[in-house]
Amino acid sequence: MSRPALSHMRKDRRTAAVRALACVAALGALASGGVAAADSAAATRTMAVSGSTPEICALQPGAVQTGSLVNMTGLDGDTLRVAQFADPRTLAVRAADATLSISAVCNFPHKVRVQSENNGMWPGDGSQKLDANGFTSAVPYRARVTWNGASNTLETDARVRHQVEDELSVNSPAVGNVELHVEIAPGASNSQANAPLLAGTYTDTLRIFLEPL
Amino acid sequence: MIRKSSLALALALLGSTAAQAQTETAASNTASRAFQVTGNVPVICAGGALSGGDSTFALGVLVNTTTGLLRTDLSAPDKVLTGAFCSALSTISVAATRMTAQNVTTAAPAGFSNSVDFTATASGWTTTPASVNTAASTNPAATQSRTTPFSGNITVGLSNFATTGGTTLRPVADTSYLGSVTVTLTAAN
Repeated sequence: MSRPALSHMRKDRRTAAVRALACVAALGALASGGVAAADSAAATRTMAVSGSTPEICALQPGAVQTGSLVNMTGLDGDTLRVAQFADPRTLAVRAADATLSISAVCNFPHKVRVQSENNGMWPGDGSQKLDANGFTSAVPYRARVTWNGASNTLETDARVRHQVEDELSVNSPAVGNVELHVEIAPGASNSQANAPLLAGTYTDTLRIFLEPL
Repeated sequence: MIRKSSLALALALLGSTAAQAQTETAASNTASRAFQVTGNVPVICAGGALSGGDSTFALGVLVNTTTGLLRTDLSAPDKVLTGAFCSALSTISVAATRMTAQNVTTAAPAGFSNSVDFTATASGWTTTPASVNTAASTNPAATQSRTTPFSGNITVGLSNFATTGGTTLRPVADTSYLGSVTVTLTAAN
């Protein structure tokens, strides 16, 4: 290695040393700077926590409200039975009442829809085909639904056998008991009041829906 | 410890210089200069890298779809901050905000709630994990101190989910409930 080359190397080393010192000085200045030191002296990590709640409506099995039964034997499964449907002397319909309480919840704005499958109680054995003047061939009744402080009544008239329904809007989530009051008026008839009943077993299916608006 | 070591070195160099000055007086054919070599280590804390690359505790469906009540088996995998460190004594703090319905803006009606509380715990940094409960008015355990520099992993977990206002309340329907957990490492001065 020639001398000029060695001299050149030494010069480079000095340059490097000077640069290194300059770097040390710069680091010191940075470290003493308030903002930089504060930034590096704390570290933060933020994590999100996520979830969702789907729209839910639920109805539990109904129960008879204590003391609400009038001429009703109570619930047999989901069947509400009338104890004595016809007056034994006149064959006119006897009054009957019952109130069911159904635990329910909807966690979003919704509606309650009450539906009578037959627009009244009709004989299930075909006797409704008998067109007997002066007799009752189907029995109207009313079903009042109370939910979340509001109520609505479905009136069946038993004149034409078809599905009828009514609904009640609830513009908020609600939880509690749906009260379903079923009432058969004395002498109810699809012909004239107190008309005697044709023989048969009278039934209807009443449905309650909690569903989106 | 580090600062003490640096000071001792500087004193040694100074002492050497003084001694050399005496030598110069005695023998003028030798000259020398002493330079202090100093450096410092700034106080640094780093939060580490989040495991899995996902920064969300995804709980999924929050409620029992039969009853509408908050699920009792809610859970999400822990998050791990790997390679966190502080070059000085430090504190770890965990803060959290409850999960709140993002689309329902009206007040929840009776029997319902718009939010879900939980406990967030950050463990691994201090003997006693830092923890915070979003339902609590005060959280004295949210900040924990460490008396030595440290490098390691921090495990962040969630537990104790509860509907805000009481366990008999039901969360209102909403496609998005959001909350957050923030972990902060702070070096002490």
